[in-house]
Amino acid sequence: MTAAVTTPSKEKPAQRAVPGPGRLASVVRHRAGRKLLPLAVAAFVLVPLGVVLWGGGSWPAALTVDVSGPLDDANEWVIDNRESHPLFLYFLLHLSNTATDAVDAVYNGLDALGWVGFAALAVLFAWRAAGFDRRGAKTAGIAAVVFAVCGLLGMWDATLLTIALMVVAVAVASLLGIALGLAAGLSDRFHRMLRPVLDTMQVMPAFAYLLPFVLVFGTGTPAALFCTVIYAAPPMARLTALGLRGADAGVLEASASLGASGRQRLWTARLPLARKEMLLGLNQTIMMALSMVVIAALVGAGGLGEEVYSALSTVDVGKALAAGIPIVLIAVWLDRTTAAAGERIGTSVPGGSRLLHGWRAWALVAVVTAAAAAANRALLAPTWPEGWTYDISTPVNKAQDWITEHLASGVPVLGGTEVWSENFTLWVLNPLRDGLVWLPWWALLLIVAGLAWLVGTWATALTSTLALGAVGVLGVWTKSLDTLSQVIAALFVTLLLGFALGVAAARAGRFERWMRPVLDAMQTMPQFVYLIPVVALFGVTRASAIIAAVVYALPAVVRITTQGIREVDPAALEAARSLGAGSRQQLLQVQLPLARPALQLAVNQGVVLVLAVVVVGGLVGGGALGYDVVKGLSRGEMGVGMTAGAAIVCLGLVLDRLTQPGAGRSRRRHEG
Amino acid sequence: MTAPEHTNAAEPVFSVRNLWKVFGPKADRVPANPEYAGLSAEELRARTGCTAAVRDVSFDVHKGEVFVVMGLSGSGKSTLVRCLTRLIEPTSGAVAIDGEDVLSMDKSRLRALRRHRASMVFQHFGLLPHRSVVDNVAYGLEIQGMGKAERRAKAAEVVEKVGLAGMEERRPGQLSGGQQQRVGLARALAVDPEVLLFDEPFSALDPLIRRDMQEEVIRLHREEGRTMVFITHDLSEALRLGTRIALMRDGRIVQLGTPEEIVGSPADDYVRDFVRDVAREQVMTVRTAMRPAADVAEAEAGASVAPDATVSAAIEAVARTGAPARVMEDGRCIGVVDHQGLLAVVAGLGPSDQKAVAA
Repeated sequence: MTAAVTTPSKEKPAQRAVPGPGRLASVVRHRAGRKLLPLAVAAFVLVPLGVVLWGGGSWPAALTVDVSGPLDDANEWVIDNRESHPLFLYFLLHLSNTATDAVDAVYNGLDALGWVGFAALAVLFAWRAAGFDRRGAKTAGIAAVVFAVCGLLGMWDATLLTIALMVVAVAVASLLGIALGLAAGLSDRFHRMLRPVLDTMQVMPAFAYLLPFVLVFGTGTPAALFCTVIYAAPPMARLTALGLRGADAGVLEASASLGASGRQRLWTARLPLARKEMLLGLNQTIMMALSMVVIAALVGAGGLGEEVYSALSTVDVGKALAAGIPIVLIAVWLDRTTAAAGERIGTSVPGGSRLLHGWRAWALVAVVTAAAAAANRALLAPTWPEGWTYDISTPVNKAQDWITEHLASGVPVLGGTEVWSENFTLWVLNPLRDGLVWLPWWALLLIVAGLAWLVGTWATALTSTLALGAVGVLGVWTKSLDTLSQVIAALFVTLLLGFALGVAAARAGRFERWMRPVLDAMQTMPQFVYLIPVVALFGVTRASAIIAAVVYALPAVVRITTQGIREVDPAALEAARSLGAGSRQQLLQVQLPLARPALQLAVNQGVVLVLAVVVVGGLVGGGALGYDVVKGLSRGEMGVGMTAGAAIVCLGLVLDRLTQPGAGRSRRRHEG
Repeated sequence: MTAPEHTNAAEPVFSVRNLWKVFGPKADRVPANPEYAGLSAEELRARTGCTAAVRDVSFDVHKGEVFVVMGLSGSGKSTLVRCLTRLIEPTSGAVAIDGEDVLSMDKSRLRALRRHRASMVFQHFGLLPHRSVVDNVAYGLEIQGMGKAERRAKAAEVVEKVGLAGMEERRPGQLSGGQQQRVGLARALAVDPEVLLFDEPFSALDPLIRRDMQEEVIRLHREEGRTMVFITHDLSEALRLGTRIALMRDGRIVQLGTPEEIVGSPADDYVRDFVRDVAREQVMTVRTAMRPAADVAEAEAGASVAPDATVSAAIEAVARTGAPARVMEDGRCIGVVDHQGLLAVVAGLGPSDQKAVAA
């Protein structure tokens, strides 16, 4: 993009020197011009043809293909044949039964421990994973608080179910991820094949994963489990492959020089050297699984997500919060535990009692847990005591009523939250949507093709144009533009706030120190949870979904921006300072230009994250594609839902490609 | 250091003949084509797109000697040592260990060779960061399939031998560079190999530590008499350690000889240039500087020095007495060194010049 900004000044003399026909030549010589010229020529031929054939305005009906009918048929066929067809009898049914059995078994196991036993397990597990020392004790303390609060809020049983789902999903996803990662780490060809698949999976919003699984397995635990596994496995695969590929070549050579066979080298050198990356992968897999397990409430996962979902659908903020807090706390517990385990690698020196290291420590955890469970059995009731719960939904709902009464509207000068959201809808969202809808279909395709070509190669342009075309072909053009307008509005706000906060954090150390824990906490929370406070403040509107999206995407954008500006070569900055540059000049002339790759990355991440939540916003009045998915799920209208899901994926592809910083070398972000 | 033993060794440990290693597309055609043999590295790259790291190299490594391969970076010395155990597969030529062809070994024979007969010490150590010192040292034994208790006991002995006693349970990350390389050395020693291969093992260390480690290698060699192949780019290191030195340039060996031969009679201008700043009196022996005794009186009286003593030791003896010193071997005077002969060595006059002086 800089070429577009900087080259004209260089080209000017040439333009003046060669008058007349030379102007075209200089346009051709110009990088952007050279790229756009063939496109313009193609458009000149194709657009009139398209308009004559199919008409302008909205996506032509002649070019749509009805996929919802066949999808509905497929769904019916599945329902009719589930009991009889060999594919189900001998394969899928086994899968779903195994899934249900596994989750049930884990749930029953955890339940049998009793609440004391389970709490002991959770606390000791966190402690052991963090290293059974004083630093680990802090992690253990977090675990204790987390589960005490879960019990206090009356969510003990739902928490157990969510954890049971998580245990199975994470176990399967990790195994799958490790297997794929091993293959990709050891075989170049497999790595080249797997990479684009993982890349695409990572830009797909969680919501789009649900429907295909419902189509095959019906709503229930298996569908929830399998889509969680598929959603959560990519980071494990990616980081395992990264760890295996990044292993110190010197160590591997030393191992070979001692005569190690391939397998010996894998077990004694390659895998141990990749442990840090693999634990990071596990951490990401766990966080993504939690996020998905909660969303999968829509397909019958049960547990905490179910509580949030049912509360949100009746706009019972108090109840939603009572279930949302445990989700956040579990996220914090899991994140801290795995992060502490990851930090320990390579730094620990075995010391102290042998009982506290290696397998003996795990055995100790098991023994103490068993003792606690036995004590629980003998002395107390197995479930969390009724008397020890506190119902927060009534006071929260009262508070929410107060908010609606006093803050939603009629606040002098400021207006109020609902007034803001109305105005935002009226003055920003509606014009944006109407503008997009007003644009003729070919113009939009042309804009996307042009932008994609400018940021990438012809392949980027082709993919994005085809993906956008696919949205039209699916027959959800207008709805997709509605979603797109929400994404653009949310992205705009996110980037504005994110860059401002990121720059501030990078330049003021105190501000950064203060903000970091907040960002950490925000980044671990599942998307679903963000909807709760937003609904409390802004009601059920399109603006709420956008605000939730902004809040969700903000931490990543702020963090990447801060990091990018911080990592600017200090020598360049020092040189600027030695020339007497003011702080504004330093920022505009040195820091921001040098941090450009990071800023582009921030935009890309922002787009992906915003889209994910805007779509989930279908649950709280976001409408458009997200609502179609919800409708498809809740009423069993597979055709509508799947079509919307496919359109979401296409939209995600378009947005990702358009914001890709230099196609090809951009994919670092997932590997950092 | 020790006297050249190659004259009495029966069979060479390593025997390398016409070895080539060419990197690049269709590397095979380069050694086969005599047309390419005369080209310089750059011409070859321009003509074929290939880089010849090792070009037509032949040498023998004798039992019990320290064979040093020395050259600047890019001269192909590290590639050469890796070809010996096929960590890098040679393009053509022959490598034999104890008369057994290495290049025709199948995978399991090759593994056995690496496990038991030749082990290597690396410039960047190549230690496993997640294992303790003793487990790192025991790694080679583990790969051989030795049981845990046995290999740890054996490793602990070697750890002590290299002077790391008391650090058995530390991790490599907690050790200094010199200590880490001692672990690397111990790991190679633990498998009790026939040959130790060193690939610039001390280049990454501080000068003082490097000296310590060189002493360590000299001590080990003196105590155990193990055959060593030592790669270095440091001339003084080569001269200190080497029984014989092969000097490499652009993949070829330009001169092979004892330190004294290299310093005393450089094969070409490149080598001469290379050794110009060497303190010659510390490398050259009295044997080169001496002349026959002029008369009986000279052979009967005066200080005595051994023929293998360095010139600098003879200078000291001559300076103390102020008279020529006798060179004594087996109680017999085989020659005399005087001021003139010693100064000729220090001044860098060639052997032929010296003979002219002596005559």
